[in-house]
Order: sequence, then structure tokens, then C-alpha cells
Amino acid sequence: MPPLMEVDDLRMHFFTRDGVVKAVDGVSFALEAGQTLGMVGESGSGKSVTALSLMRLVPEPPGKVVSGDIRFKGESILRMSEKEQGRLRGDRIAMIFQDPMTSLNPVHRIGRQIAEPLRLHKGASKKEAWGAAVELLAQVGIPQPAERAWDYPHEFSGGMRQRAMIAMALACDPEVLIADEPTTALDVTIQAQILELMREIQARTGSAIIMISHDLGVVADIADHVLVMYAGKAVEFGAADEVFCRPLHPYTWGLLESLPRHDADDGGRLSPIKGQPPSLINLPSGCAFSPRCAYATERCCSEAPHLVEIDSGHSSACHFSADKDFLNRSPHSATGKL
Amino acid sequence: MLAYIARRVVQMIPVFIGITVILFLIRSPAIVPGDPVRMIVGERAISQALYDQVVKENALDKPLYYQYGRYLTRLVQGDLGDSYQLKRPVTHILFEKLPNTLKLALVALLIETVIGLAAGILSAVKKYSFWDMLVTLSTAILVSVPVFWLGMGLQVLFGVKFKQWGLPYLPVYDMTSRDFSTVVHFIMPGFTLASASMAYAARITRSQLLEVMGQDYMRTAAAKGLSRRDVIWKHGMKNAMIPVVTFLGMDLGAMVGGTILTEMVFNWPGVGLEIYNAIQLRDWPIVTGGVIVIVFMVMIINLIVDISYAFLDPRIRYTKAVK
Repeated sequence: MPPLMEVDDLRMHFFTRDGVVKAVDGVSFALEAGQTLGMVGESGSGKSVTALSLMRLVPEPPGKVVSGDIRFKGESILRMSEKEQGRLRGDRIAMIFQDPMTSLNPVHRIGRQIAEPLRLHKGASKKEAWGAAVELLAQVGIPQPAERAWDYPHEFSGGMRQRAMIAMALACDPEVLIADEPTTALDVTIQAQILELMREIQARTGSAIIMISHDLGVVADIADHVLVMYAGKAVEFGAADEVFCRPLHPYTWGLLESLPRHDADDGGRLSPIKGQPPSLINLPSGCAFSPRCAYATERCCSEAPHLVEIDSGHSSACHFSADKDFLNRSPHSATGKL
Repeated sequence: MLAYIARRVVQMIPVFIGITVILFLIRSPAIVPGDPVRMIVGERAISQALYDQVVKENALDKPLYYQYGRYLTRLVQGDLGDSYQLKRPVTHILFEKLPNTLKLALVALLIETVIGLAAGILSAVKKYSFWDMLVTLSTAILVSVPVFWLGMGLQVLFGVKFKQWGLPYLPVYDMTSRDFSTVVHFIMPGFTLASASMAYAARITRSQLLEVMGQDYMRTAAAKGLSRRDVIWKHGMKNAMIPVVTFLGMDLGAMVGGTILTEMVFNWPGVGLEIYNAIQLRDWPIVTGGVIVIVFMVMIINLIVDISYAFLDPRIRYTKAVK
């Protein structure tokens, strides 16, 4: 049986006046029902574009899938007609966006916005859909849902709006839920509540989640598998425990190192990854991370590494990931922190 | 909401009084040269006794503030005075003409809304296409062409030339021609009056819709599985329409005031033409009365627009209710 969702060497490029932006340049993963995949990386590493590509929400032009495939239950989404894609979207595959402040329509009532996918995909009557919307609001923890469904988005707080967004995404019991930084715009206590809510939902509905975040803590909290992205490429992929405890790629090391820690022995000084992510129009030759990598060699600057499986189910795109001596130099090798 | 409406109505009073002061002053002998008695009686020779009687009847021997008080008192009772030339109450004259002006303004508003919005939506949805270019070009022309020139140009082409060429043609003159049904008479004056506003409406619609199409909630709507058309119609339009409706409403007020040129060109028997004729004859009661009627209507229309604005945009309703 094919996996629920499968992305195969996806390349989404943007053809702009300044050149070709390789926003997603060779990303592959598979997602099984009930699993959570965490996608991490700096801003501009291609996480969001990957997510939008899965929904076919990238405006084309300027975007264009130059190669690769996205399959849902073995069927290529890219080869579907627009109508068929529309039938999947919001029904089988739903998405939660980053900014709940701007992602809800300001002139429609919350209840109507949540009811809309039901009216569209399930052919529910206005009344049925409204009832279901109230029920969904209750499920995501909105108090007095019957009254609050009549509210407009500006009458909701940020956390409530994100709950409403989640209710909207859940309306049709999607099999895949894509969450693009669902907690980034929220304050910390609300973040924890939203993550808890998503975990609950997954336990109840068994849907697969793709959780995109630049917050490693969030991903460590919720994900079964982790995909680390850099400059549009997947640089490390594996089970969450593996990636966090035995990271193989120097970029992942850097990400983990730059987390603030409680048990730091150097007075709590942060150690960020030096330099800036590269321009996606003009990528460095060889490994895209090489200019910022403390361990880069001449080979790194000329020869681009491919994502190869190092341990079972744990792959990395670094020439040296298979080298035990090299891994011992990792700041994580001794302790397996986090 | 009621408190808001009440406050808006109260705010209208000082504006209205201010306008009556200005109108009263510009017809007073202090500013307009000439003997007011001569304006009232016209060119014919009159006796001193009759002259004194006219002065007395019109309180012209009293100080200016007294005259203004008298004028305002009559005004609030609905008396705009009598026409110098026609010797009839100004209210009667104006209210005979007002329906024609209103009908013309409403027809123009209809043309403006239908064509302006359709053109704006078309050019936003098909951005940078041939249609977009066409709309951009024609709106640029309509905005820059003077109304009277456009009106006369239309008359020459669709009235005179089309008739000469044996094509179906349109009436060029007022609204009484027996050869045409009443509706047909509205086409050219309506289009002329609507021209510039229609172009603005198209441009505002285009830019608003383009802005809205880039908003996050449009992506959310697409993520629900709505087709591109439904995303634009169900989620984009109401948001994009808020500024457009405001413009249309304010523009209706401007249009009621701006009918003078169109009515002149088409000899349209409305308030505008009446004011124009009265200015030439120095028939001040009709001029001031006409302006007051128009000002009053503009104020009422603006009030209605403000109220309807609150119904379109829930965020405005909310803040006003909280205040």
C-alpha cells in the first residue's frame, strides 16, 4: 500500500525578473497515517513553499514545479485537474496558516468561515454546517461556542483565532493536516495550548500532521519524524529522537546549538550559526551550507552532497556524515543533549 | 448605532447654517453689484412709491443681520422666497425640476456602478492582459476629458452623424422628444454624467481587488478548496467593495451637484439647468434655493453612506458601538 502522502524529489522554482529562485530544490519524504512530520529550518529554507506546494497553493506563475511528484494515496496531485485538486484541498488535506490575525476573512462571521468547507465538500445545508461549526468550536476549546460562532474575527483574541483556524481545517476530518508555523504568532502560554490541542486532535482523529516550525522545541515536542531543510534542500531526515540525539548534519548541530538552554555552563551565551542563509538565486557551488560550516573542506565547496541513508531511516546530506571521527567532533556527540 | 446617527444629524446643523450664511452674503448688495430692487422688478420703469414698497416688502431697509434672520426663519419653514423673474415660489419651481435631476443622477449611478465595477473586476482578474490595458487606457481618457466636451462629442456622433449615416441614433436634446421612449433619453446624459466617476470606480475596484487578492485570507479560502472564482466572489468582493461603496456614495452626492454641466449640454430640465439659467438672469432666490436643496441632498446622501459603511464592515460597527 502506498504511503498516505509521498513527496518525491520535489523542485519548486520561482521564475522572477532577477533570476530563478530555487525555493524547493529536491525534497522527498513519505508520511503515514497518524504520523507527525516536523519540518525545521531557518526562514527562507523552503519549508512554507514545500507546504504550499503540497496544497497546490503556490501561485503559478511565478512558481513552477520543475520536477518531482507529490502523491496522495499513490495518486499524483500534480497530474490532477484543478477541480480534482480542489476536491482534496480543505477536505482530505487541510492547512493551518501562520498568522491567525490575517488568515481569517474580516467581513465574514467565524461560524460561516468554519462551516464553509462542510458546505463545499460535504454538501451540508446551511443549518447543518452551522451546527457543525459550533460543535467544532467547542472541540477546539472555544467557550460558549453557540454565541461565539456569530462573532467576527476581530472579536476573537489571537489564540482564539488560531483555534478557529484549526476548527476550520478540521471541519471535514482531513487525513493530512499541514500546520505552517501555527504557533509563531502567538505568545508562549498560548503556543503550548495550541500544540496540546493539535496532539489531542491527532489522537482522536488519527490524521497525519506536517508541522512546520523554525522552533525546534515545538517540533521535538510533537513530531515522530523530522526533516531539516536548508536553502530549499532536505539536509537531514530521520526519526525525531535520532535527529535530536544523534544529529548527523553540521547544520542540524548548529540549529541545536543555537537554542537557549537552562543548563548552559558558559553563562547562557547563545551560539548562533554564523553568517546568513544564501541567496536562493545564486547558491554557492558544492554544499549550500559550506560557507557557514565550521567543518567545511575543499570537497564541500566543489561537490554537492546528496541525501544518503546513514543509519536505518536516518539520512543526511553531508559528505562526512558516515565518518565516525567526524561525528565525534559534533557538540552533541558526548551528551546527546536536548 | 442610533446614537451614532443622532450625532451625525446634529453635526449637520452647523454645516447647514454655515452654508446659508455664505449663500446669503454672496447675494447681498455688499458683494454683488447692482440695486437689489432693480433685480427684483427687472428692467421696467417703476414709480418711487412702488420702489419704496419693494424695499419694504423685502426688508431691504433693515440691517443685514435682520435680513438674514428673516431669510433663515423662512428657510426652516420651507420658504425659499419667490423667483424674481417668474414671480412664483422657488420651492415650487425647484421641486418640479428635482425629480428629473434625481432620475438622471440615479441612472448615472447605475451606469457608473455596473460598467465601472465590471471593468475594474475584469482588469484586476486579468491583470496585464489586453482587457486590463483597454480599461486602463479608457479610464485615463474618461478622467481627463471635460464633461461638456464628452457630452457634445456624443451628441455629434450618436445623435447627428448616426442619423446622417442612417444608423439607429440617440436623442440629443432634453427628454421630451416624441420619437423616443423616455428611457432612451437617459442614455447619453446618463453616460456623460457618469463618465469620470465610472473611470474612478473602475480604478478603485481594480486596485482594491488586487490588494485583497494578495491577502492571507484569500489563501485560506483557496486552501478550503474553493475555486478561484469563488475565492474572489465569496471572499474578495465584500472586502474590496468597502472603499468602492464609500466612493460611489460620496460620488452620488457630487453627481447631484455636478449635473449643471450635463444638464446644460443636453438641455435637461433639472435643478442644475434651472440654476444655470437663474445665474444668467441674476434670479438670486432660485440660485441660492437651488444650491441649498443640492447641499441638503448631498448631506443626506453622505449620512446614508456613512451608515451603510458600518453595515458593510463589521469592524466599524464594533468600534462605534463601543464608543
